[in-house]
Amino acid sequence: MTGKIRTALQSIRPKFRRQSEEHLNPYFTFANYNKIWLLGVVVLGLAALVPLIAVTVLHYQLIQKSVDLELVLRTERLASNARRAVTFFMEERLNALRFVANEIQYEQLANPQQLAEILRNLKLGFGGLTDLSIISHTGDQVTYAGPFKLKGLNYSDQQWFIECRKHNVYVSEIFRGYRDVPHMIVAVKSYRRDGIFFIIRATLETERLIQMLSSYETGKHADIFLINRSGIVQTPSKRYGGIFEKMTLAIPEYSEKTHALIASDHQGNPIITGYAFISLNIADTPFILMVIKEKGGMMAIWEDLHAKINWIIGLGAIVILVVIMVTCTYMVNRMLMADKTKAETLALAEQNCQLASVGQLAAGVAHEINNPLALINETAGYVKDLFTITETYSEDDELMENIESILDAVERCGRITRQLLGFARKFDIKIQKIKIKEVITDVLNFHSKEAVYRNITVNVDVPDPDLEIESDRGKLQQILLNLVNNAFQAVAEGCRLDIAARKKETETVEISIGDNGCGMSEEKLSKVFEPFFTTKELGKGTGLGLAITYGLVKKLQGEISVSSEISKGTTFTITLPLHIEEAMDDSENTTG
Amino acid sequence: MKHFRILIIDDEVRFADMLAKRLQLRGCDCRVCYSGKEALAQVEKETYFLILLDLHLPDIYGVEVLTKIKMINRTTPVIVLTGHGTEKDRQACMALGAYAFMHKPLSIDTFMSILEDIQEVST
Repeated sequence: MTGKIRTALQSIRPKFRRQSEEHLNPYFTFANYNKIWLLGVVVLGLAALVPLIAVTVLHYQLIQKSVDLELVLRTERLASNARRAVTFFMEERLNALRFVANEIQYEQLANPQQLAEILRNLKLGFGGLTDLSIISHTGDQVTYAGPFKLKGLNYSDQQWFIECRKHNVYVSEIFRGYRDVPHMIVAVKSYRRDGIFFIIRATLETERLIQMLSSYETGKHADIFLINRSGIVQTPSKRYGGIFEKMTLAIPEYSEKTHALIASDHQGNPIITGYAFISLNIADTPFILMVIKEKGGMMAIWEDLHAKINWIIGLGAIVILVVIMVTCTYMVNRMLMADKTKAETLALAEQNCQLASVGQLAAGVAHEINNPLALINETAGYVKDLFTITETYSEDDELMENIESILDAVERCGRITRQLLGFARKFDIKIQKIKIKEVITDVLNFHSKEAVYRNITVNVDVPDPDLEIESDRGKLQQILLNLVNNAFQAVAEGCRLDIAARKKETETVEISIGDNGCGMSEEKLSKVFEPFFTTKELGKGTGLGLAITYGLVKKLQGEISVSSEISKGTTFTITLPLHIEEAMDDSENTTG
Repeated sequence: MKHFRILIIDDEVRFADMLAKRLQLRGCDCRVCYSGKEALAQVEKETYFLILLDLHLPDIYGVEVLTKIKMINRTTPVIVLTGHGTEKDRQACMALGAYAFMHKPLSIDTFMSILEDIQEVST
């Protein structure tokens, strides 16, 4: 299971992360593909995402500002409306009292039945009035109409009486009073016919006021209530203090007009505070109207939308990053392929160049060595002759053995220089039509006895026995002979040798010679066509066979390649053109 | 073995002498020339069974020497034996009628077998 996952992961892993062409490294233009990839992803990512994020942030701030402004405006409007309603409520009742005081004679007002009648009419007209009383200039209660039995009271030292006497009108705060029920009093000063003043006082129930205020509360996030100038809550508030308790918010600064601002409550939650100091045409009041809106609640819808937008932008950013990463991977892979092709071409060019220069060197060395070698040969041969032919000296076995070894060495040197020259030589090509199958059969005839003796199976696979190419028979024979020789040397007894030839689509013939012998490492494989490189035991090979083969294949305008795996075998593949072009330069041909 | 008359033309004095000695040990009658002019004079003077010719002579180039030898005596077999030699030289020599074009070092046994071959052909 884990193996499958690993294989799947390997298949999507970018090619440039599993670089294995270490031998080509010096030819690569770009050394660090991972760095290029990372740089590409970072630069493209920044270029794509920074503007997106910047626009999102700016847009968010802009919307935040306009929403804030809108909320403040709406709160201010609400506070203004509520203020008008409260003002109207109070002015209406005060004006009614003033009307009563001015239009109805004091004597009538002092009559309890008459006053009760007026109270009844006022209740019908405005509602919310509990009682009415007439107070003389001395502060004595003259008449009372209402549910309570209040008679003979003196208010001369009471604050409201002093205020009313002074300012003609009085509006009290809301208080519990003797009855322990929240109420407020309003009083109006008027004059009798004899010029002595009296005061008409009414007790107002706060029920109507509270109902009216709550009718302005739109939604659960709004809170509208009255406080007095000391910050004591006068009508019920949902969150900012119980009735007759100190308000938990700060008392706003005095302002003639309705005002709204963004603030925070005692817990630090953002709120929008709208307020208005209630002031009547005919009198001042102790009330401040408070309109509080919880910003969090008001913004919930917008925050929800914003969260959705954030999700979309986040997903968009991920998609952009994935696209960038995939694109970068593709581009860097293409770069790697191009670089690899270039590196392979360069490596090949260098190898060809090395081969050519080594060839020239070899020819020079061989030429220079041949003459002294010939001298050694003749001199040593003469010494040998002196022993064997003339009998001038008696035969000495040890001396003879040494001379033989000198002659052997000379013979071997001669072989090497001949091969070197063969390698350097540019051959004339005698072009003729050759049947591939025949050439292979001829070459294998050289080895038929060895194959039987060593029990080596040779499979020849040439589907078309009449497959012909135009080439040089001798050269082709030598190429195949060299490769078959090599293969025979590489395999052990009982091994297999496969020779196949078939026509390719590209006007070429592909001949492959494979064995299931010992194989070669990648390092050895890369040097296999270099002169003097041999995998054989010291002294057993000159290391020129494959280098010469390489030269011959090139001469026949073909290509040779090799693949190998240790202990699995080696396969040489030659590709030769069906028709060879004649373009020979033999001005520097050498033979020895 | 018959007494083959062999002319060795080579400017490598020690090599030529040594080869002559060895051939003499094998019953041949050898004469050595170290330059082209000397050799041509010899060829004009005497007839040889075989001529061994090096290409790089100090005065005349081997191919020219061969041409002149062939002008003097078409039938004498000439073996070109050289340490340096181009394909062009080989083609030229073979075209001029050289018996063989061989490179140094050459084993004495190979040489002797060539001599026997020539002898067989000539008889």
